[in-house]
Formats: sequence, structure tokens, C-alpha cells
Amino acid sequence: MIWLIKQAMLPLMPGSADLPGLADTKLDAFLRRMRRESDPLFWAGIVAGSVLCAVTPLITLGVPLPAFLLPTRLRMRHAARLLVHRFYPIRQAMLLVRYAAGLCWGADPAVRAFFALPAYPADPGTFRSS
Amino acid sequence: MGHIAFQAKGRAVELDSDYVVVGSGAGGASAAIALARAGAKVTLVEAGPWRDPSDYPHSGYGTLRDMFERWGTSFTRGRAYWPVLQGAAVGGSTVMNSAICVRTPADVFDAWQSSAGIDGRSLAQAVWAAQDELEAELSATPVPVAARGRLNLLAARGADALGYENHFMTRYVRDCQGSGSCLQGCHDDRKQSLNRNFVPELLTRDGDVLSCAPVQRVRIVRGRAHSVVGRFKHPQTRQPGAAFEVRARRGVFVAASVTGSPALLMRSGVRHRMLGAGFRTHPGAPILGCYDEPVDMNRAATQGWSSLAYRESLGLKFETLGMPLDLVAGRLQGSGHELMERLREFRHLAMWAVACRAESVGHVSVDWSGRPVVHYTCGEADMRRMREGMYVLAQTHIAAGARAVLPAIEGFPYKLEPNEIELIRSAPIDPRAYVAILSHLFGGCVMGRDPARSVCDERGRVHGHENLYVVDASALPGNLGVNPQHTIMALARHWAKQAVETGKC
Repeated sequence: MIWLIKQAMLPLMPGSADLPGLADTKLDAFLRRMRRESDPLFWAGIVAGSVLCAVTPLITLGVPLPAFLLPTRLRMRHAARLLVHRFYPIRQAMLLVRYAAGLCWGADPAVRAFFALPAYPADPGTFRSS
Repeated sequence: MGHIAFQAKGRAVELDSDYVVVGSGAGGASAAIALARAGAKVTLVEAGPWRDPSDYPHSGYGTLRDMFERWGTSFTRGRAYWPVLQGAAVGGSTVMNSAICVRTPADVFDAWQSSAGIDGRSLAQAVWAAQDELEAELSATPVPVAARGRLNLLAARGADALGYENHFMTRYVRDCQGSGSCLQGCHDDRKQSLNRNFVPELLTRDGDVLSCAPVQRVRIVRGRAHSVVGRFKHPQTRQPGAAFEVRARRGVFVAASVTGSPALLMRSGVRHRMLGAGFRTHPGAPILGCYDEPVDMNRAATQGWSSLAYRESLGLKFETLGMPLDLVAGRLQGSGHELMERLREFRHLAMWAVACRAESVGHVSVDWSGRPVVHYTCGEADMRRMREGMYVLAQTHIAAGARAVLPAIEGFPYKLEPNEIELIRSAPIDPRAYVAILSHLFGGCVMGRDPARSVCDERGRVHGHENLYVVDASALPGNLGVNPQHTIMALARHWAKQAVETGKC
């Protein structure tokens, strides 16, 4: 499932010579952590959006193939069309996938350095005990 | 006992107290400390964990995980799926909001008198007196010059150029450093969120605090609130822990939020046709400006500027809202190389937002598991006003020197040049076209004089239950058109004092 989510996310934020893309981040570790820690509804939404992305090139491109078998250029076009799809639930599902992708990308130290932002310290995840 | 955090399964935790307060946000913490200062033994029961500044997250991911209820997955059921954001921690939403302090406008009490039959004038005097106290106790101060940053200074410049009222916000922040991390919890420990003052003070006054302790129901015996029961829940693993019961000798105050309070009363067997009704909100939509010079919107007070110039005419409030990169990245329109080119401009973006005092009314129900569900659709008239507010903010961006604005409206151009912003006035008014968020919530247990049309009376006491109170925004019979925290805290303080003084419970 992590792999499928990655396939949905990677075309959304490609890298360039100077600005790292999602593929340049620790996306695998991020998604494993998210699977472990996130609210079940949140994770279910990410999964649903990713599955949707995988199975719908037929409706966006007229291509009867799963998205992960498409060349990069077509995968990007497919994702872009899902994000503006006239059917609202489809748009919202892809928005959630992009939102989660942004959480990973925007927290990456190299990305943050590009924007002259300091790297985030680790999130403590702690709380007061009795 | 003191503070009791998550307890693993085993022996049940049982406590006795004069008063039990459910929820430790603006209403709950304020009521609890008022009761304790009056000499009562108080137990505060909070579903979320108790985090201190050293525990606060830094990233957007951490903020979703540690600060928001259920990772921010609450959303409206209606025409559009709009997120309903609420805090989940000791201190409630005061830990992750911008600590904005706005006194309750007089017209709010007039409206409540008219719609709910309460004594508006008396309530106004009591609330304002309580707000005087709160402002002194919680260091309500305008954003200092050094913390304003370009995010807020540009807004002031633009509004001044257009000639409408605007101001730097007064907030409960002591010597703000402008670190732009209100949303994540103030790492500088300057924000006076209630986990930093009222709740610790409660412990010094022989009070108890249960955290990681969601209340399942209020046990009501022959019309009297007897105790609250629930089971501890680990905030990370979500594993259930030991059962708890806190018995109340004198009364139970419910402040579990606009979604949580009606749901709790429903689960507790309170039967009232108005329970859950009257849900109102201030839907907020962003509009960004893109500037030639870097704005660096996170190097500033997160929400440091505001305008109420259009509150009376259009029911609108304008605010700045500095958002971190990782929360903006996935929300800009587009994807692929197009999105990446847009993201390059992040440092040059200033995010401002319009909040609408919407007239649309929804309701809160519970699902099969007892969890709250918000049913709400923002109506056409409200959407037109919100759109108009976006247009005014677009004008303000241009007046401040922006070279373009980003309206973030589905089906609309991503970027508008200065000579194109008039197009906003013809943008779609379908809520599905907007990325709006609901963070100011009202209603669900509305107060009023007529028991047939309200859940609680003008003292916050649930009709038909002499010692059961609602002391959060769910009791408000209308929205305010201003940030609600100051109103909620003052009302809760006033009602708690009244309850003790009248000795009715």
C-alpha cells in the first residue's frame, strides 16, 4: 500500500535541478510513520485517493492502464486532471493525497534550506505523565 | 491526586469532587478555575493529553498528530466537505490557536436578547467585567512592533491605503517573539494558552486533572448529574485504558466543544429536540498575495492583523494567517512542474483570510459510535458575502504592493493580475469551489429563556437538570462576527461564579 501511495504522490511534486522534489525526500519513512500514527480515517482517505488515482486513467486520459504503468509525463497529466475533476469527491480525494505529500515535502531539510527555512527539530510526541 | 494521565487497563480510577468540568479549553478551564478560586474542589476531565512547550510539535505533520482532534479529519456533511478544526489537548484549542482577544460587541447581546429572550444588558455587563479580569490575568496586549513582520505590516499598509479600519491584534501573549508558531503551540512559551496558567493553577488549589480521559457520558440520576464516566485512551496508540468515574457532589459543567458537548449530552440520555440544533460558524477562506520582495510569512505573529471594518455591513472579519511551508505546499493549486514553479514563490506569499459571520445554520448529530457529526452547508447569501470579502482583500493586497493575488477558487485562474481582480466578484458561489475552514464554532446546546427552543438557560444550566451546565461555545445562540475565545472564557467564568454564589447545585 505504501508503494501505491507513493505512485500517486510522486508525480505531484517532481524535482528540478535546484529544488528537490518529493522523490528526493524520505517519503517511504514518512509514509510508514503516517501509517503507524495517523487517525484511521485520515489514512483511509490517503489510501482511497491513491487507489482512485491508480485505477482512473481511463476517465482522465482515455488510457485503460493503471496509473503506475504510465510514463511519467502521462502520470503527471492524469494527476493534474484528477485534481480539477468536475466530480467533487474525486477532487477531494486527490486533494488529500496532495496535502499529505506537502506535509512530507515541506518538512524536508533540503527543501526548507532552499527557502532559507531552518530544518525542523524532531516532533517530540511527548506529553505529561501523572 | 493531582494530575492523572493515561492509565493502562486495570483498576478503575474513581474520584469525588464538588464539581466536575468536562473539557479544558477556553470554557472548561475558565469555569474550572473560577470554581476552584471560590473554594470548591474541582476535577477537570480532558480527552486530550497535557503537553507543555517542550512537548509541542514543530512540523505540520506533528501539529496534525499532536494538536488537532483526530488529525483534523472532522469535516462537514453538506454541499462541501469543509474541515472542522478543534484542538485536542489540555487547554483545548487555546493551545493551537492564535490567542486572539476580542471583546464581545454589544450587538451580540442585543441579538441574543431578541432571539433567545435572555437579559442581554445584564449579561453584557457581566461578560465585560469578566473580560476586564481576563485581560489583566492573561496579559492581553497588542502585537509588539518587533513581532509584526511583513505579513502583518503589508496588510496594514494596504488597508490604510484603501482607508478602512484595521489594527494589530490584541492577543493573550506575553512579549510575543514573532516566531510564527502559534499553530504548533508557542515554543517560546509566550502565548497564554490555558494549559500554561489556569490548569496548573487548578492543581495548586487542590484540584485534579484527568488527561487522556474522554468522557463517554454524564451519569444522570433522577434528573441530577451524578458523575462522569469514561475510559482513558492513549493519545498515540489510541488503545483504551482503565475506566474512570468522577462523582460530582454539586454539579457537572460540560465544555467539550461545539461538537463534543451536544454529542456528550446525547450519549448521556438528555432528550431535547434542540440538542444539536443551531450550529453556526465563521467559515474562513484564504486569499494570498504575491509580492516582489520576500514576505516570509512565518517570521511574524501568526495572526497579527485584523479588520472589523466590514463586520456590520457584510458580517466579515479580515485577518492575516501565516502558514508554514509544509501546510501550504499541498494546498496550492496545481500539480507537477506547474505546482513546483508556484511553490518557488512561497517566500513571496502573504496569506490573509476572510471569515464570514454566516447566517446559515446546521446541526450536530452523532454517528453509530456516538461521535459527533456536523451537518452544514454555507448558503448562497453567505457565499456571496465571503466572495465580496475576498475581493476586498484582493484589493488590499494590490494596494499593499502585491503583483498578483491567488484566489484559490476552483475553476478560476490560479493567479490574477491587479487589473483582473474584479473577476473575483463573478467567481462561483458554490461552496465546493472554495477551500474554507471552520474554526469558530457556535451552537448545539443553545441557551435561551424558552425551554422549548433552547437547551440551557441564560446561566448555562441545562433545562430540566438543576446541576448540569454547558459552559462553552455550544451554548451561544448565534455567531459573534469576532473571534470567540474571549467571549467563551468570560461567559464560562460568569456562569461558574453564578453557580457557586446561588448555591443552586
